[in-house]
Amino acid sequence: MRIEVGGNTHVGRVRQNNEDAFQIERSLNLYVLSDGIGGEEQGEVASALAVDTVVRHCLESENHRAAPLFVEPRPDLSERTNRLMSAVTLANRKIFEAAGSQTEHRMGATIVAVWLQGERLSLVHVGDSRAYLLRGGSLEQLTSDHSLVAEQVRRGVLTPQEAETSELQSVLIRALGSEDRVEADADEHLLLEGDTLLLCSDGLTRMVTDPEIASTLLTIESAQLAAEHLVELANDYGGHDNVTVIVIRALSGSTGLFGRLRRWGK
Amino acid sequence: MARLLLKFDTAILKEIPLGNRPVTIGRAPDNEVAIDNLAVSNYHARIYGEAGRLVIEDLNSLNGTFVNDMRVERATLRDGDLVQVGKHQIQVDAAHDAALPVDAWRKVAAPKVDETMVLDTQERREMLRQAAVAGERAQISPTRVRVPTLRVIAGKTNQSEYVLSGKLTVIGRSEMATVRLRGWFAPRVGAQIHKRDDGYYLGVGDRIPKVNGRAINGSTLLCDGDVIEIGRVKLHFGYPA
Repeated sequence: MRIEVGGNTHVGRVRQNNEDAFQIERSLNLYVLSDGIGGEEQGEVASALAVDTVVRHCLESENHRAAPLFVEPRPDLSERTNRLMSAVTLANRKIFEAAGSQTEHRMGATIVAVWLQGERLSLVHVGDSRAYLLRGGSLEQLTSDHSLVAEQVRRGVLTPQEAETSELQSVLIRALGSEDRVEADADEHLLLEGDTLLLCSDGLTRMVTDPEIASTLLTIESAQLAAEHLVELANDYGGHDNVTVIVIRALSGSTGLFGRLRRWGK
Repeated sequence: MARLLLKFDTAILKEIPLGNRPVTIGRAPDNEVAIDNLAVSNYHARIYGEAGRLVIEDLNSLNGTFVNDMRVERATLRDGDLVQVGKHQIQVDAAHDAALPVDAWRKVAAPKVDETMVLDTQERREMLRQAAVAGERAQISPTRVRVPTLRVIAGKTNQSEYVLSGKLTVIGRSEMATVRLRGWFAPRVGAQIHKRDDGYYLGVGDRIPKVNGRAINGSTLLCDGDVIEIGRVKLHFGYPA
């Protein structure tokens, strides 16, 4: 299997600062995206710290298998997924400490991180940044938002339609840096040839509907161009928030001479 | 009227109004508050009114009853106290009025709607409590901790039985697979089983597996006794009795 990745971020049409951050760490097949929260420049600091901490911790663990874990490993998760949970826990601690005692300048960040190992995919997230899987033409949201409205939908207080128009969409119930501990969600999936993964901040999903996202990913072959087009769409529809996307494609990995020649020719 | 809230993590599983009768808590199904978890004794504790106070009494339970993290044999309960029984909590809510209107949400979250904000623990508890009260369908059934197994009925595999304790179980020839298939024509990643909150789902791999003789159409919730077929391999999916 061969992985093709594209990523893009934009401040949008309304905001002054881009508080989103992302990193594509090809050497590890690790993809991390974060949306910062906080006034002035705090949000930018928080999301950059989140992404940087997660990538560094995972890189370190590759060099030193015995690098300490910052969480109690869960027996139902793989070593990679536990490592990613550890990285996110560490990121939470760093942001919480960076915010210090200044309660007025509370800062925080969401995170969504995917780490691929062969066909196994580790996914960890906190907040309302999402991961989607496009398989066989249908788009499935792999993460559930840690937002108040999503919780209300889960509890049957709101319908999904009501949630979309709620004025409380920006209220998160979990984020990195808001408390000294964080509860991150972890999941594992199987990645198949032909699959496309999408990581995105809420700046995309508030502006662009799931069917539009799916059709973009289905019609634009290049991961980078698809990522750029999704950002453009969000801006065309008003660009109310910063928007960031990472598109990850799992392609047929014919490593034979023919496959190599064919790719070389492209 | 005062009430008790049975909780697991942040989820409110049940609301128990307090009347004149004592409330018994335990694993046996005839308890007022029945908690199906091995950490809970059959008749674990009871809560009752006595001389205008609310009292909790441990019924010689194995793992103990805790009030605000203190182990107790008998204690007076106050509004807001948190009783821990096994992994579940019971919160005392003495000053509970009838269902709060959904409007109550707005008060907490009114400022700067456009700006993302994060609720702290206290606010979150309050909002989730209100969410549970406002939602009539709010009673989430407690998750059962039952781990199913796959038993090999036919075909070549590296073990004869597998306990599905992981989040993801891959079935195939791949080194990543938990259920390793043998043989030249076995698929690399024939199928997958994914553990979710509500059960175990069988999904396609580079083959489309069958359940009870029928090819699956997307992710399929597995039921006790299902037979999964991937090529020549047949696996029996079952929960422990």
